[in-house]
Amino acid sequence: MKKQIAIVEDEPALRDNYAAALARQGYLIKTYSNRSAAMQAFHTRLPDLAIIDISLEDEAEGGFDLCRDLRAASAELPIIFLTARDSELDAVSGLRLGADDFITKDVSLPHLAARVAALFRRIDALRLPANAAEMIRRGALTIDGEKMQTTWNGSPVILSLTEFWIVHALARNPGHVKNRQQLMDAANVVLDDNTITSHIKRVRRKFQHIDTAFDAIQTVYGMGYRWVE
Amino acid sequence: VSIRLQLLIVALTTLVLPWAGCQYARELESALRGSQERSLLASAGTIANALSAQPQRVFRDVADSGAFSAAQGDLYVYPLVTQPLIDGYREDWDIAADPTPLPTSTGYRARLQAGATEHYLYLFLEVDDRHFDPEPYNVHAGKDRFDRVNLTLQNPDGAAASYFFATDAPGLIAAQSVVKNEDGTQRVLVEPRIQAFWLQTAAGYRLEARIPLSFVGRHLWIEALDGSGDGRAGIGADSAAGGRLFFATTGLDTLLATFIRDGTLATVIDVNSLKLGLAGSLNAARLKESEESPWYRYFLGADTENMPTITAAPDHMSGEPVRAALEGNARAQWALSGTRELLLTAAAPIMIEGRTLGAVVLQQAGDQLLALRDDALTRLFNLTLIATAAAVIIMFGFASWISLRIGRLRNAADSAVGSDGKIRLGMPDSGRGDEIGDLSRGFERLLSRLNEHTQYLRTLGGKLSHELRTPLTIVRSSLDNLESEGLRDDQLRYITRAREGTVRLQSILSALGAAARVEESIKQSERVNFDLRDLITSAVAAYRDGFPAANFALDVPPDPCFMRGAPDLLVQLLDKLIENAVDFCPAGGSITVHLARVPSNYSLQVINDGPLIPEAPLKHLFESMFEQRQGRDDKPHFGLGLYIVRLIAEFHGGAAVAANRADGGGVIFSITLPLI
Repeated sequence: MKKQIAIVEDEPALRDNYAAALARQGYLIKTYSNRSAAMQAFHTRLPDLAIIDISLEDEAEGGFDLCRDLRAASAELPIIFLTARDSELDAVSGLRLGADDFITKDVSLPHLAARVAALFRRIDALRLPANAAEMIRRGALTIDGEKMQTTWNGSPVILSLTEFWIVHALARNPGHVKNRQQLMDAANVVLDDNTITSHIKRVRRKFQHIDTAFDAIQTVYGMGYRWVE
Repeated sequence: VSIRLQLLIVALTTLVLPWAGCQYARELESALRGSQERSLLASAGTIANALSAQPQRVFRDVADSGAFSAAQGDLYVYPLVTQPLIDGYREDWDIAADPTPLPTSTGYRARLQAGATEHYLYLFLEVDDRHFDPEPYNVHAGKDRFDRVNLTLQNPDGAAASYFFATDAPGLIAAQSVVKNEDGTQRVLVEPRIQAFWLQTAAGYRLEARIPLSFVGRHLWIEALDGSGDGRAGIGADSAAGGRLFFATTGLDTLLATFIRDGTLATVIDVNSLKLGLAGSLNAARLKESEESPWYRYFLGADTENMPTITAAPDHMSGEPVRAALEGNARAQWALSGTRELLLTAAAPIMIEGRTLGAVVLQQAGDQLLALRDDALTRLFNLTLIATAAAVIIMFGFASWISLRIGRLRNAADSAVGSDGKIRLGMPDSGRGDEIGDLSRGFERLLSRLNEHTQYLRTLGGKLSHELRTPLTIVRSSLDNLESEGLRDDQLRYITRAREGTVRLQSILSALGAAARVEESIKQSERVNFDLRDLITSAVAAYRDGFPAANFALDVPPDPCFMRGAPDLLVQLLDKLIENAVDFCPAGGSITVHLARVPSNYSLQVINDGPLIPEAPLKHLFESMFEQRQGRDDKPHFGLGLYIVRLIAEFHGGAAVAANRADGGGVIFSITLPLI
């Protein structure tokens, strides 16, 4: 059965482009231009994935409200913010509301499709047994590539997709410096340097939340970051 | 010329006040003088009228009004206040005038003065005769020659009597007379009632004689004869009329005194201007000694300078009012006395039966008036000068205050737009209701409009970058979709070009919003301790990879350089500086990154070969949206790169400056960063 994706986006051209691209990937696409229309539809049936813009027609923060309502309706529904806003504050707010990813509209359609596929893969993987081949172990760190799960000393680290790919790229080749462009490519996002920096910061903080002595991600000034064991 | 000076000059116009005061004082003085003139003239007229009603108390002889002629031997008899001693000295006569010369035809000189008390006529004769010819013992007058003075008196009854004075030795003598004996011989009689003192002096002799008034009539003959020659002087007995005696009128002083007030000198004169009587004095009413003329009198003009001068004579009066009065017209005049005191003289004729027989002359000192004027003027001057000084000081203070306020406003206006392009609102004095307050408020309005505009410009980049993002995304996503439609290769080529265009657009938008993002990330930055040397070393290593065309030189201290700050931001700062240096560094040129520890600061310098920066833009280089140089690549420039450098340097408590290299081969960008 085809996966159903709901796109809530007030810009018709963009909405149709996204819908067309994702439909080409074999997904069933429903599009809504505002929050009330979307919620009305969601009451009858929840989609398998929701892609939401933050500002929706009259509501500058309508996407946030919609995310909150969706999350209240289902704890497991994957939600992606796709927005023109690129400020860290917006990203943090979105992720804090329970979104699974925060993607700026700079992302290309193939990247978006890959991102969507990855998210579905993670959700599917959660229901399958772990595949040892996809496991990366680096000291206290364990990355399950199939489930897209990360643990540190056995405790799960809740990472967004972008963050997951960043950690994944760094930990795959410990000691190698990954510059920002490489990290962006790994995460399938087009972000400016600042956003990468803030993603790294957020990742560090999430690890430090579990282990205050965490300093495995090292900054190589002017170049990028590397994983140190 | 500053406002302060201008107002000071304006304030000086208050000096017109003292000037106006002077004019007023002058007019006041003139009016006072006029009124004093009129009142004195009226007094003179009144006294003259009163006197003409009782002529016998004024004139000894109303009928006799012959002209006075000194050449004819006419003699004014001074009224003597005290009885002089008969001693050959005149000092106790207390008369300012010198004896008058007697007429002479021989060059023999003698001088005579006459005075009178109530009972005696005094004569004082001075004869220039170096050779004393004494009177021989028991001579008969006229036979032997000796120095003698002949005196013929006409007694009140009209009969004449002749006497002579001579002596064998100087001293107290009596008059002698020659009488004819019955046998026709002559003998000399001594008249003991006429006493005299013969005093021999170096120049000749003096004779002071005292004659009872009962011997004295209207006429008198007196002649000095030289005993050793033909010299003679005076009016001889051969003159028919002899000299006439002009007496002051007895009792007239007392009479006059009843008419006058203090401070007035009243003189009654006859037609010959000779004084008949006087009363009062000029000085009695003088308030105080006339002081030195105040200096400002010089500014008032010398109004007394062109007044006529009247010299007072002891025996007669002179001047225009006297002359006019004797012609029958009352007249008053201001004049200067011999001692340069201001004197008001008023004269009125004494008319009896249509004839002018004399005049009443009243004199008052104007010094009283002058003193009054000077006093008033001094006070006026002082007051107005104080007022002027106060006005000047107040105006100066006011001007200073105004100029201070304007200066404050100017300073505020000067610094309203900071070097960071931010506008500080809030002008001084804007709460005041005056024009400067208006100006201040005008500035405020201007600034707030400017501020809105600047804010708009400042946020325009961010807004633009945000607003353009959606259409750009539509274009890109459409291209993506188009690509998936299975296009021909030639079509794909155009798609690729369009995509390249969107990538460039994307980077432009990103650059546009860069400053706003840096400002935001500065707000969210956390400070950590880190090694600056380490940061720079690894960053430069990255630049060597990133810009293989440029030669990087690194010059860092041997020890770690710990500081507290945001390393990410500092890397961005370095990025911008290096990008800038690479842009302007010619091919083959070198870029030096230099870190040094100077007291209390780290000094980070990025030095590149390349063109110099003109002096003028140097200090604006770090301002927002300042872009003078055109980079050589096609990357977008919005003049934000160095502004970001500055934002980051200032976030760390440091500063950024740019300078041309001393050797002229390039530029130096220096960042100072505090140690901790």
